Amino acid sequence: MLAGRSLALAAVVTAACAVLGVGTALLVTRTDLPGRRVFGVLAALPLAVPTYVAGFAWTATVTGFEGFWAAALLLTVCSYPYVFLPAVAALNRTDPGQEEVSRSLGKGPWATLFGVTLRQIRPAVAAGSLLVALYVLSDFGAVSIVRVDTFTRAIFTAFNLGFDRTGALVLSTVLVLLTVLLIGAELTTRTRDARYASTAVRLPVRLRLARWRGPALAGLLAVNGLALGVPAAGLARWLAAGVSRPGSLAEIAAAAGASLSVSLAGTALTMLLALPLGLLTARAPGPVATALDRLTYLAHALPGVVIGLSLVFFAVNVAYPLYQSAWLLALAYATLFLPLAVGAVASAAAQSPPAVEEAARSLGRGPFTVFRTVTLPLTLPGIGAGAALTFLTCMKELPATLLLRPTGMDTLATELWTHTSTAAYAAAAPYAAILVALAAVPTWLLAARTGLTQTGATR
Amino acid sequence: MRKRLSLVLAGTLAGLVSLTACGGSDSDPGKPGDKRLTVYSGRSEALVKPVLEKFEKATGITVDVRYGTTSQMAAQLLEEGKRSPADAFFAQDAGALGAVSKAGLFAVLPAEQLDRVPATYRDANGRWVGVSGRSRVLAYNADQVRAAELPKSVFELTDPKWQGKIGLAPTNGSFQAFVTALRVQHGDAKAREFLTGLKANQPQVREGNVQIVADIDAGTLAVGLVNHYYVYELAKERGGSPDVLKAKLHFFPDGDTGGLVNAAGVGLLERAGTDPDARALVDYLLGTEAQTYFATQTFEYPLAAGVPAAPGLPQLAALEAPKIDLNDLDTLDATVTMIKEAGLA
Amino acid sequence: MTNSMLTVTGLAKSYGPMPALAGVDLDVTRGTLLAVLGPSGCGKTTLLRCVAGFERADEGMVAVAGRTVAGNRLHVPPHRRGVAVVPQEGALFPHLSVADNVGYGLDRAARRSGRVEETLELVGLAAYGARMPHQLSGGQQQRVAIARALAPRPALVLLDEPFSALDARLRAELRADVRQALRADGATGVLVTHDQGEALSMADAVAVMDAGLIVQCGAPAAVYRDPATPWIARFVGEAVLLPATVDADVATTPLGRLPLRGSAACGAATVLVRPEQIRLTPSGGAPATVVRQDFHGHDALTTVRLDDGTVLTARMLDEDNGLTAGTRVAITVRGQVRAYAE
Repeated sequence: MLAGRSLALAAVVTAACAVLGVGTALLVTRTDLPGRRVFGVLAALPLAVPTYVAGFAWTATVTGFEGFWAAALLLTVCSYPYVFLPAVAALNRTDPGQEEVSRSLGKGPWATLFGVTLRQIRPAVAAGSLLVALYVLSDFGAVSIVRVDTFTRAIFTAFNLGFDRTGALVLSTVLVLLTVLLIGAELTTRTRDARYASTAVRLPVRLRLARWRGPALAGLLAVNGLALGVPAAGLARWLAAGVSRPGSLAEIAAAAGASLSVSLAGTALTMLLALPLGLLTARAPGPVATALDRLTYLAHALPGVVIGLSLVFFAVNVAYPLYQSAWLLALAYATLFLPLAVGAVASAAAQSPPAVEEAARSLGRGPFTVFRTVTLPLTLPGIGAGAALTFLTCMKELPATLLLRPTGMDTLATELWTHTSTAAYAAAAPYAAILVALAAVPTWLLAARTGLTQTGATR
Repeated sequence: MRKRLSLVLAGTLAGLVSLTACGGSDSDPGKPGDKRLTVYSGRSEALVKPVLEKFEKATGITVDVRYGTTSQMAAQLLEEGKRSPADAFFAQDAGALGAVSKAGLFAVLPAEQLDRVPATYRDANGRWVGVSGRSRVLAYNADQVRAAELPKSVFELTDPKWQGKIGLAPTNGSFQAFVTALRVQHGDAKAREFLTGLKANQPQVREGNVQIVADIDAGTLAVGLVNHYYVYELAKERGGSPDVLKAKLHFFPDGDTGGLVNAAGVGLLERAGTDPDARALVDYLLGTEAQTYFATQTFEYPLAAGVPAAPGLPQLAALEAPKIDLNDLDTLDATVTMIKEAGLA
Repeated sequence: MTNSMLTVTGLAKSYGPMPALAGVDLDVTRGTLLAVLGPSGCGKTTLLRCVAGFERADEGMVAVAGRTVAGNRLHVPPHRRGVAVVPQEGALFPHLSVADNVGYGLDRAARRSGRVEETLELVGLAAYGARMPHQLSGGQQQRVAIARALAPRPALVLLDEPFSALDARLRAELRADVRQALRADGATGVLVTHDQGEALSMADAVAVMDAGLIVQCGAPAAVYRDPATPWIARFVGEAVLLPATVDADVATTPLGRLPLRGSAACGAATVLVRPEQIRLTPSGGAPATVVRQDFHGHDALTTVRLDDGTVLTARMLDEDNGLTAGTRVAITVRGQVRAYAE
């Protein structure tokens, strides 16, 4: 029952995100849509909105916003950037020559789209979809707000209402099994050959939308309205409606500072672990690298509360000095979000073709020097993107933060939670606004990286 | 690019330094009498923080507070076991205190503290004591329901005339405590029958009491099972008095389980049982200042020091609350299972 | 000391059950350029990667400038071999300027000594040091890649089909310039290519490779004129192969009796005639009919059919010979031919 509903929700959301993410990516990279750069940045922005903020905003805006389809809508508009960003990056990487060949062989634009373009970006879309699916499995905020019983919600219920750790662990095990299934499915979509950036850079021919321009614009506007407009309106309403006021400016600043520092520490630790793993996956693909890589996804699919309580147990019994220190929280972030970073590092490594490194080796430079002078400079933008994604996800994380933060430390997310749980929405609004604003900065960097914000895309 | 990188690096370093700075200050179980306490609060920061600040000012004891939901904090305490850095657990309801007490993590409190609270609102074994009380009520929309129609017993809510009109928050701890009370007072069979009947009446499920009260006030719900103070909170958030709201309170009479009075309370972890600082905290919470605060700010029933309840509320002694030992409300697991089996959560 | 800059002995390497190198022997003399010529899949790139140290050979030995770098379980890492590679598409470091690319393999002192400018001059890009790779054309990128390889004065420069991505005119120009640059710098090189024109025009020696083996090695002219097998004959240049009967130093073929270069066993044989040896005259030879003419600018290939059905091609300088399909001609052969016993 639960498993069925969890999987169905994951399937619906993943499919919707794939359509929405790829569709938006195509519109902004391959058509003459007006304002496509703006739309490109907007499409990344939902990443900055925590699902629980969006959830509260939706339930406050739409009466009776609950149930399976509400959850599906909410999760879709919140997580389609997970597909959109890699899809845009892949579209910008593909060789337009292949599309031109297809057109010249008498295939129309649609046939070319499905036969050539989408096939080229399939691995990127599959990887993004996997993240979406795992996110849906592990999400608690949205499903609890719109009241859909999923595995993760059941795990929370077992922990929180029954003090039932055994039950929660059994449920978590089932979740792990579901994750293994998903990972297996995604593996089958991977092609064996690694693709490296081609040195040729050419502009693809943009499709003329003609009479489809109106509907396309309306569609994008609608998606953005749902993904960004509703939460923004919700926040504005909170601010206007109530008289409860947040703490002093100093408190807000302290929470923002705490959020930034633990997220930075979490990101630093995550990247430190992700670098070797990502490079291993990209450069020495094989069963070991694949196994290690997939292992990181298991933790990603587990709800934050499970990872959090596991680390409580670990620290209390094994590493007591670490307990309730920011370091343990950073470790939790690293455990939860490693795949985000590993994926980014691995795809960044593809930006540095082996031939370039071999040329460097043949010029008498040792492996470490080559890594420092060639691999690192070439992969740094991609690594930066991974760090940005990890950072903003750390900022939004709540359950593990609640469990593991140092006593007395409040982050934006915990303050937001504190105030929403007592219905002091007006007090919560500034924290939500700052959280979204701060998370929007790395999101913008991510969008910028895809080349969407640059005016001259090529030489 | 290079510039941006160095900025990021500098930021990371700054973050790490500040982490190290704040990492050292805690997670170090204090010694008795060191004028320092670590409190796990299952009650929200907005409510508890002002009280603890006053306590700090009055006693010179520094309190590090960890806020969460009562059940999260209980789960964390159970996971931490005897090595918990916490000195005290300030919980929202008796069930969670019971669960932690059951695990043998609480110290026995001295009789002079226990005796300041009516026996109904403290642990029989003296391992926790109630601080403030909350009554279950039926909130109703005065435009849609006439006072004469209000049920005498919570069991009447299974009557078809309430079909689709009742607001419930089955995942809320207070509702679960109420169902646990039903089981204690009437047995599992009757409780299950009630839940099934309630489910058949197609209740409107909400995540929390706040939403139920807001929906009742807005007229989208006719009645709802909530705690008494949520109407006052809504009024406070709206910036007015409860009188102007459409949502009104109905207290179930004659010891009906629907009128259960649950206690928020405090327990001291085994290690802190003899710590004078921890005892001072319990003393303070049961004193006039804190009790008055709960009466006027959270609209709960003060349980000690003879402080009266908020204006407009019936006094604690006047409530015809069911005769239930709150210690028996610690079987939440079974309750949750039953609620789920009834299809409500 | 030694005059051999690269010695490869019995080099073998397999990927799974497929042998890529089946015992390769090679020797490259100081200051010369050896072309390894073979069809794609013959193992020539594997050979290059084993020499550079990117791959570990299963068996055999590699010595660079008299120092063993691979063999007997020894595997010197690529950066300690003194073997610089020029990959197919140049593989310039996209984040470094042209000068920084060229200076990459140099230590600080060498960078200041003007070696960067010197090598850039050598490849004709003296003014391009400050440019970034993406601001260069394909041919220029390739020149930089060669300057980069030459700069540290490696014992050996390996060129992996470096001209394959360029257009014909640019290729010819670059070939000449690269040959000139290598020679001017006194560099020793190995050029891997599948283009026989490139191999024959650039190299001092050509090693023909097939199925993981060197099947012939020698001076370009010798390999062209005297290929060891009919397969090599066909792979290196255009070849007309005719059935023949050998008797002493004369082969009897459909084109008549042709004098042999060298000797061959008597009996049935295959004879190699190069198209440029074939002359078409109005009469006085083997009678044939013109099938078609393929015009190549500087010359033309004329396909003719002998009356017995044998089809062959003749190369002739572009002169208005008035031949069209259907014209009857007579065929004679200039010079000697090579015979391979059946």
